[in-house]
Amino acid sequence: MIHLITGGSGSGKSEYAENMLCHYQKEEGEQLIYIATMFPCGEETKRKIRRHQRMRRGKGFETIERYTNLAGIVDVLKNYESVSVLIECISNLTANELYMEEGAKESTAEEILTGIEAVCRIARNVVIVTNEVSSEGFFCSPEMIRYKQVMGEINCCLAKRADRVTEVVYGIAVEVKKDR
Amino acid sequence: MIIGGSFQGKLDYAKKLYPEILWADGRDCPYGEVRTCGGIFHLEAYIRRIMKEEEDHGRKYLGLLEELGSINPEIVVVSDEIGYGLVPPDPFERRYRETAGRICTRIASDAEQVDRVVCGIAVTIKNKL
Repeated sequence: MIHLITGGSGSGKSEYAENMLCHYQKEEGEQLIYIATMFPCGEETKRKIRRHQRMRRGKGFETIERYTNLAGIVDVLKNYESVSVLIECISNLTANELYMEEGAKESTAEEILTGIEAVCRIARNVVIVTNEVSSEGFFCSPEMIRYKQVMGEINCCLAKRADRVTEVVYGIAVEVKKDR
Repeated sequence: MIIGGSFQGKLDYAKKLYPEILWADGRDCPYGEVRTCGGIFHLEAYIRRIMKEEEDHGRKYLGLLEELGSINPEIVVVSDEIGYGLVPPDPFERRYRETAGRICTRIASDAEQVDRVVCGIAVTIKNKL
């Protein structure tokens, strides 16, 4: 099962995504992996990270931090007999690949999509969290437009690949693409 | 609860659905009115006003909103749906959209019905009735 979850900020996407992965986990002994992508710089992001850590405590997730080159994580995932993976989130990964020194820069979309494909080949279930970033129209620099464009491209490809796509609206799951 | 982007016809829809109730305007109503009013529109502006107030004062009323489901269980809440854009560069704006999101999520969870209005057309996304 590949399940893409999107929505606005503060809408409860993460909690919904965590619960969905727990729901998909059927086999005993199947390890739940949480791929954290937010690079901790400054108090605000650290606070956000701590909030997320509190939220998923006790749900049985093992956290792996990964800021760029998602495909490289396959070596770690291979160590488990059976895994289900939550990737949180595409908007951070995209920013990391675009702007971090070791990022993929102009091949960001390709890098992320290849990485997710690699994870999908190994994991039984993959839940991916992304963000709606293009529906507010305040002035954008060319750099910001570029970011929205890359995000849009990745989101469209992921939705096509996914078995199920859900938009979380203030905690309410609105199905966009139903499970085949 | 009725949500949607700005200028989508949310209030027209709300007033048609609930023609009898007294409305508070979140842009300028006294803060306490959420306890007693039949409905409030521009909840997002109400939240923003509170957050611009001094810390203690603000916290009290944000807490009130969290408990709205038990304080004023019959209330109809109309709010702009925000947080569908890029992360704003300004720290207050980031805090605002995050807070508005969390509060609306809480209100939606307590609500019996949530309708989302797009271009004047309402789609019910939650209905416990």
